[in-house]
Amino acid sequence: MSILYFLIPLALLILGLAVWAFFWAVGSGQFDDLDTPAMRIVLDDDTRPADDP
Amino acid sequence: MSDAAACFHCALPVLDKRYTVSIDGLARAVCCPGCKAVAELIRDSGMSQYYALREAPEPGVGRPEDDAGEWEIFNRPDMLEAFGATTSGGKAEATIYVGGMYCTACSWLIETTLRAVPGVADADVNPVTHRLRTVIDTRQVGLGDVLATLARLGYHPQPLAPESSAAPEVIEQRTALKRLLVASLGMMQAMMFAVALYAGEFKGISADMERFLRLVSFFVTTPVVFYSARPFFAGAIRGIRSRHPGMDLPVAIAIGAAYAASVWSTFYDGPAVWYDSVTMFVFFLTVGRFLEMRARHRSIDKSVALTSILPNTVIRVEEDGEATVPATQLVAGDTVRIRAGEPIPADGRLLEGSTSVDEALLTGESRPLAKAPGDSLLAGSVNLDAQILLEVGNTGVDTTLGTISRLSERARYTRPGFVRVADRVASYIVVAILVVAVLVATGWSMVAPERAFEITLSVLVVTCPCALALATPAAFAAAGTRLAQLRLLVTNGDAVEAMSRATHVVFDKTGTLTRGLPRIAETRVFADDTDADTLTRIAAAIESASTHPLARAFGAIDTSFEATEVETVVGHGISGTVDGRHYRLGRSAYVAPGSSEAGTDDRPTVYIGDGETLLGVFVLDDEPRADAADTLTALRSMGLEVSLISGDRHAAVARTAEELGIDDFAAGCTPQDKLDHLKRLQAGGAVVVMVGDGINDAPILAGADASIAPAHSALLAQTSADVIMVGDLLRPVVTAVEIARHTLRIVRQNLAWAIGYNIVALPLAVAGLVPPWLAAIGMSASSLIVVLNALRLSRAGSTDRTVPA
Repeated sequence: MSILYFLIPLALLILGLAVWAFFWAVGSGQFDDLDTPAMRIVLDDDTRPADDP
Repeated sequence: MSDAAACFHCALPVLDKRYTVSIDGLARAVCCPGCKAVAELIRDSGMSQYYALREAPEPGVGRPEDDAGEWEIFNRPDMLEAFGATTSGGKAEATIYVGGMYCTACSWLIETTLRAVPGVADADVNPVTHRLRTVIDTRQVGLGDVLATLARLGYHPQPLAPESSAAPEVIEQRTALKRLLVASLGMMQAMMFAVALYAGEFKGISADMERFLRLVSFFVTTPVVFYSARPFFAGAIRGIRSRHPGMDLPVAIAIGAAYAASVWSTFYDGPAVWYDSVTMFVFFLTVGRFLEMRARHRSIDKSVALTSILPNTVIRVEEDGEATVPATQLVAGDTVRIRAGEPIPADGRLLEGSTSVDEALLTGESRPLAKAPGDSLLAGSVNLDAQILLEVGNTGVDTTLGTISRLSERARYTRPGFVRVADRVASYIVVAILVVAVLVATGWSMVAPERAFEITLSVLVVTCPCALALATPAAFAAAGTRLAQLRLLVTNGDAVEAMSRATHVVFDKTGTLTRGLPRIAETRVFADDTDADTLTRIAAAIESASTHPLARAFGAIDTSFEATEVETVVGHGISGTVDGRHYRLGRSAYVAPGSSEAGTDDRPTVYIGDGETLLGVFVLDDEPRADAADTLTALRSMGLEVSLISGDRHAAVARTAEELGIDDFAAGCTPQDKLDHLKRLQAGGAVVVMVGDGINDAPILAGADASIAPAHSALLAQTSADVIMVGDLLRPVVTAVEIARHTLRIVRQNLAWAIGYNIVALPLAVAGLVPPWLAAIGMSASSLIVVLNALRLSRAGSTDRTVPA
């Protein structure tokens, strides 16, 4: 079980890195808009107008 | 009028069937040339899918205004300095507030359209704050072109000065997200180590490993307590300082005590640690706060609310001619030229010209007011008839508009404090549980030290406050979602609770109980050779070309006549030829010089004549909303008192009150009068729900226990209201109160369940009859039941009033 004395601190270190990465992402504005990205995936930017009369 | 088809673009009723646009191979009816142009622009840019993806529009949103020329001056370089920061290489970055956005498809449409404009390097819309950040190449395109593009799409853009660009909402949301993430990760880790400790209690664990796991839990919990839970501690300290301790205090005590006890246990080998309970408690509370904050941010941006009804640019009369300048550059003493139909940019004195103005938004007065040189004019009112010169007095926050805005902020600050009984009970129980746990631990260590830990553990787990902490937020979150589905946007969570306790509903008149649109109440015919119906249809044909507010009374009339040679005589009326005969519409002195006004008890009138004799008169009044009477009946049957407070004239208010059967009404009220009236009601123990739409309603909306504003209302009213009601009906007021009452029932059930469960489980656990694993199952099941019960709210309220397709 003594491997835990090494693995748990390692896990906490990775956790710390994850938190740091998330803080950076929030700070750079990636999470400012939580609604549009869900919509954006279903939109095509290159639809041409239909052949209207 | 209600059976008319809705405009494909803006959802207003289609009155003139001449305009259609072909989208995806189908001809769609639109209401006006403006909507036709916008729909064609959207189609020709290959963005028709906007219509498939957007949420059902609120009628009138997205309808363009005829002000395209106004944007030209924003192309000047000095405008870029005032509204944008130029960076190297001719690139400039500007922030623009986009009014009229209502869903995420809008932000996609704006971004995609702008990026296709040559010279626009980047365009980003934040649908939460309605702000567009754009980077443009100033050598190819000007700020005015960007604004004009937005206006052509049917939005109402407003450039923002650079200093107001850093939106406090964005910073608040970022901080809240970080706090939420730290709390959730901390909770997961603490739970994981807690499971290991519980398992160790069963299977045996070495003292070293136990101490190690406790230490690790301490490391993951500490940021949760000192970072994620900081708002609770700050709130508690603020509460103590102001001698009004709120629910933050017991929460802070519970978190602080559990954490301190755990830390002591960790370093002095105490009986147990409570890190999992601490982190879970903080996490659930933080989730609740986060959801509440998101709902609040969906409401309207405060900083823009004040200025959005003022014009962006004005024509300033200077010594060497006239210049178009941004309205923000006006100072007292300037002279401004205001054309007919334009809003008045500042408080001031009428210098030249006589006109009438519409002050409905500011005062509730539904009738246009005549103004002569020397009279004072208010910023935010609309100049109706003629071109005038205004000497600027007060500008910006010093205007009457600004004063009302300040009044509403103060009213909001001093509104009755809500006692969140549920949360408070939950917090006190947390403290009680901790006390009991300590007593159990010491008690059992004296009787049977080898079982003390296990039993203390069971007591803590079985009585975990999760169900209690979830009882209220889960119900309010479910209620918020349900209300949003029914097109009621809740911006202040307290409102649901206040609405459930409501005893009085107070309505504003103009624009709330009534549509704020004139309707023909009575037609009098003076000539022998015609009848009321023919006259009305002739008038409708001529008035269809008019932009005067009173002309809208004729908008719904189906006319078979065609008017030619239509000419507007500013300040007097309109003339035109129908079937070879010349007609004049407007004031009596204009339609038939020498005639006298008919007695019409103060209601607005439109005369019709042929320039010599008077043919008839249309007496107009303000039409109550179609469902106003039904709504009031429903509210009364729910045991609520209904009253009417209006700034309009006594005669007009009394007429509406009589028509709708309201006994308690007050007329001619200033915003301060309205607020005083409200305070009197509240002093008598009433819990008041206010429904209003005007700027003059803002203070009373802010001061009421709960307030509802229609989505078409003035921005200032929307920022002061707790609930925004989308659509053209009053009925949602009833739905809101129904759901609020239902929510409180659910909260009571949840609390009863959670407390009952704890009362039964606690003695069993204290007696040592509940093993920790059973306690864990009991705790989870209890939380689950509370959440499932709250979710029943998602079907609450009648479903027949959901979003029309």
